[in-house]
Amino acid sequence: MLLLTPSAASGPFTVNGAPAPIASSSTLVNQVSVKPRLGQWSKILIGGPNLGTDESNAMAILYPVPNGGQADAFVLQDQGGQNTIDLSQIYVYATIPGDSPMVEAFGYQTL
Amino acid sequence: MAVSQLRGQSSGLQYNGPQGGSRGSQLVTVLTGPFDASSAPNGAAPLTTTPQYATYVRIQAHPGQEGKIAIGGPGMANASGSVADSSFLELWPNWDASFDNGRSDTWVLSDPKWLNTIDLSQIYVYPEIAGETPIVTAFQLV
Repeated sequence: MLLLTPSAASGPFTVNGAPAPIASSSTLVNQVSVKPRLGQWSKILIGGPNLGTDESNAMAILYPVPNGGQADAFVLQDQGGQNTIDLSQIYVYATIPGDSPMVEAFGYQTL
Repeated sequence: MAVSQLRGQSSGLQYNGPQGGSRGSQLVTVLTGPFDASSAPNGAAPLTTTPQYATYVRIQAHPGQEGKIAIGGPGMANASGSVADSSFLELWPNWDASFDNGRSDTWVLSDPKWLNTIDLSQIYVYPEIAGETPIVTAFQLV
């Protein structure tokens, strides 16, 4: 049966000083979202392999949520119902090293 | 928590309702209301105890409550240390409607083709404050 299941790449994603890909090898999913970790102070930059720490080539910049309110989020989903988003090509950077934005990714699996 | 009892389609009744990956013609709720995880191991409970396949699931911080809500997979039930560190998402509380015009933080997952592909038994919810009750809604197409 076809199921939409969480990717192993989901969870707090610790960024240490440089933009990093969500997955180290090609990982195709249907949906991915990135949110600042509630209570942390980093801006979160999202982009491709050419993402710069100066916000160059950023496809999204998320503001931190230090003290309440809804977290900003970057969400991408293939509306055709296919696993077309490669997590190894999506890079994340936190302006404070060690902060850990939350990554949520779901992909189709046939079980 | 209210779960409607749907006709099991597997011989062993291992799950209720339609099979994973199916697509019916009528949208029904299978899970609605405040969700209590306080009696579960680690305080992290699956949305359903047996596999139940939905096309849409929504989890909302309960207005007036004060703790964060972590959402993740089965690893949350046996995590050591911070349970939220095993989650993939956290919702911020909405205790006094003072942020975002009172809107509550909400997580939504839906199948873009409206297939019943989301196994509710694999989605775990952990309220940071035991006894708090996020609002959960799930729909199936039967």
